[in-house]
Amino acid sequence: MSDARDAVAKNRHTYELEETGFNEVPKKWRKFYRYWEGVGDVLAPNEVVCPVCKVVIRSKRELRPGDKVYCMPCMSRMVVVKAADGSLEAEVIF
Amino acid sequence: MADFLSQYSIQRWLEMCPQGYLEDTVYGRGADESEAEDLLGNETMLDAAITATVQLVVGERCALAASSGLVNAAPDYPSKRFLATQTLDEARHVEIFTQRLYDLGVKKDKLEDEISDRANPHLVKFAEVLLEKVEAGDFIAGVVGQNIVLEGMAFSVFEMMEAGNRQLNPKFAHTLRGTIADERRHVGFGENRIGSLIQEHPEKKPEIERMQEEMTYHMLATFALAFSESPDEAIQSNGDSPEAEWHGTNLATATPEEMEAVLAETVLGEFKTRLGRIGLEYQSPKSPV
Repeated sequence: MSDARDAVAKNRHTYELEETGFNEVPKKWRKFYRYWEGVGDVLAPNEVVCPVCKVVIRSKRELRPGDKVYCMPCMSRMVVVKAADGSLEAEVIF
Repeated sequence: MADFLSQYSIQRWLEMCPQGYLEDTVYGRGADESEAEDLLGNETMLDAAITATVQLVVGERCALAASSGLVNAAPDYPSKRFLATQTLDEARHVEIFTQRLYDLGVKKDKLEDEISDRANPHLVKFAEVLLEKVEAGDFIAGVVGQNIVLEGMAFSVFEMMEAGNRQLNPKFAHTLRGTIADERRHVGFGENRIGSLIQEHPEKKPEIERMQEEMTYHMLATFALAFSESPDEAIQSNGDSPEAEWHGTNLATATPEEMEAVLAETVLGEFKTRLGRIGLEYQSPKSPV
């Protein structure tokens, strides 16, 4: 990792992930996902909703535009982008 | 492409499904779970539940025929392998919803009669449009029809039914949660595989968009007929449950018209977004009513 990328990474908030009751992937990966509760569900800075299957993908660090995320329940690869309202969302990479 | 398709292995399917969320289930629900007593003791609600479950069996039989037919039409072995797992998923859905009909009191020797008597004719037409493409060996149109249109509809319908049954009928909600988990993979395959194929075959767009328009017409007609025939008593349950809230509508107190509206809005909204992501433009159908 370059010094610049290392510095950016160091400035990110990190998270200790715990299981959320999500059981649709093998046990080892379950803490990286949770069920989306729909309207009113507030996403943390380390979370983004998979637009394909509506599961919340959770990262060990705060997400930023350009980060790549993977949704194991539907097996889609995505990149994090900033939405018009300033929130983060995921775009599928075909 | 190879990288994306390599994720769809039989091994991963085994770890996620039989060894994961389906472990210890019996016909998709807990071994000690049974249908709600309130439902079994109310003739009107029971009749409506049988009719609704028949539509699930009809839809899943179509999905089984489509996914198994697409195995031979698939242009590569990773896709064939994924569709083989989807075929087993769909066969399981047919089995668990058929089992629910038995749990609701349908006699085994009357099963086919009940299905043909109660099947929504628009849902049957919807299936015929899709299976025509599959039988012609048209992989791209078949996967759009099966994994985007049919599975997209099933995904929204199952989510709504699961939310509505979470407190009232935990056994059926449990059954639905397993099918929703399966549908996530199916819609994921549909978008990821077809997203790249549409880019390679843009000449297929007009034909696929016509199929989507026709399928959407029959889907909306299915909802319109289903909700116009549903007695309020069968839709409206007792109490105002916050657990039954779905896309701003309380499913415990919604009228048939409100249920139809929220379902059509969510399914159509999802279609437009999903089709847009893979490079297709949503075609509005003629009004089915």
